[in-house]
Amino acid sequence: MTPDGVPQIPFLERNRKVALGLLAVVLFFGAWQAAFLYFPFNPLFISKPNLIFAGLADLITSGELLYDLRVSAVPFLYGFSAAVVVGVSIGILMGWRVRVGYALDPLMTVFYASPLVALAPLVIVFFGVGVAGKAIIIFLLSVFPFIFNAYAGVRAVDRLLINVVRSLGGTEKDLYLKVIVPSVLPYLVAGARIAVGRALIGVLVGEFFAASEGIGYAIARFGDLFALDKMFACILAVMIIAVVMTEGIRWAERAAFPWRVGQ
Amino acid sequence: MAAYIEARNVNLTFRPPNRAPVRALYGFDIDVREGELLSIVGPSGCGKSTFLNILLGLIKPDSGQISMRGKAISGPGPDRAMVFQEFGLLPWRTVQSNIELGLELKGVPAETRHKVSRELIEMVGLGGFEAHYPHELSGGMKQRVGLARALATDPDVLLMDEPFAALDAQTRDLMQVELLRIWNQARKTMLFVTHQIDEAIYLSDRVLVMTKRPGHAKKIFDIALPRPRDYEMRVTPEFNELKLEIWHALKDEITV
Repeated sequence: MTPDGVPQIPFLERNRKVALGLLAVVLFFGAWQAAFLYFPFNPLFISKPNLIFAGLADLITSGELLYDLRVSAVPFLYGFSAAVVVGVSIGILMGWRVRVGYALDPLMTVFYASPLVALAPLVIVFFGVGVAGKAIIIFLLSVFPFIFNAYAGVRAVDRLLINVVRSLGGTEKDLYLKVIVPSVLPYLVAGARIAVGRALIGVLVGEFFAASEGIGYAIARFGDLFALDKMFACILAVMIIAVVMTEGIRWAERAAFPWRVGQ
Repeated sequence: MAAYIEARNVNLTFRPPNRAPVRALYGFDIDVREGELLSIVGPSGCGKSTFLNILLGLIKPDSGQISMRGKAISGPGPDRAMVFQEFGLLPWRTVQSNIELGLELKGVPAETRHKVSRELIEMVGLGGFEAHYPHELSGGMKQRVGLARALATDPDVLLMDEPFAALDAQTRDLMQVELLRIWNQARKTMLFVTHQIDEAIYLSDRVLVMTKRPGHAKKIFDIALPRPRDYEMRVTPEFNELKLEIWHALKDEITV
């Protein structure tokens, strides 16, 4: 019991969301490991967690992993930044100008829904095997969540709030800064969470097709060499990065928009 | 002598795209006296909210004259402020920051803003909730913020567009009492749009009944009940008689 007489909630119960989530991850790897007590293990076709973790440790200590990640980070940053700028501009324009919205909505929807990955070879042919080609693949995959979320955000701006600011003597600039931007921002953050995952796919796909270094290339190469422990180790690294990025955005969202908590 | 606020022959037709035009106001006249609390009742869609928006300067009528202190109203101005039915609080701003919005838009320095908002937070009974966000407040509290925000810029006229319609019955009763207290303290001219005859009588010096769409003034009632008013007054014969008279004026306008 705490001093004020409220019964203490046990640690596990307070953190059960995190605890259960972690438990599932641990069980998954445990089951994977345990499966080979019954099934024959052939390292040419599959790997198992202890080998993967050893491989990961190997790649980290040798500096290989970090190097590949740094190489891959360059087109990622270019492509993703371009997606933010272009996506948000197009999305806001579509939301603000009704005719632009009507005109572009079907086209953008088609692109968003289609497997753009299929265009990757073509992009490489057009823009080469360097950073540019990969950045464009990443851009193509991650721009649409920004377009559609900015579009939705602008359309969701509450007309009443516009009237409130107008009636209190607000100018166009005030409308923009005090109503539209704060309304749209959370939509953009939500879009960024989706876009990060798609951008990472872009990194891998781009490097599968044409690269001599980078994390995607490493996965493909280890696969070709039947070094499946290291291949899985690289995949695991990408997964961890994806989780850290999306969770990081989620955390930043909660910190930046306290008014959305509980909505 | 011209009235404090004067509207003459105001006409407005809404022309929504792809739909038939709607005549909202037709030959609407009104005279508002300085410092009075005037309620406007009328059937749904009769244009009473539209008229408040015209007074506020957000909508321009097709024709007619509207003036305040003899000066034509052509847009929003610091002499008028509105309390909205759906509150209209910015969800990303705290109570205090919502109340200071109008002052901020006028470029008032932060120190003065805080001083004003502190006073108003006390006045509307929100002490201790300065740092809360709108989603953390009850409906009644939200409208207290709406009221404080409208009062913050110290307007001469307060326009209230069914401000208590989104509240439950008991909260509404309490807010009416609060409003009268604040009206006494702040001494503003108030135009109060409502559907509730009770509410209109209880609060007002005069009640204007509007016709159905296209809306114009049908009849105006003087509410000679003494002030300060209390809750018990609602069950007196005088109150009920007024209620009946207003109801008779209103009922022919209502179609279901």
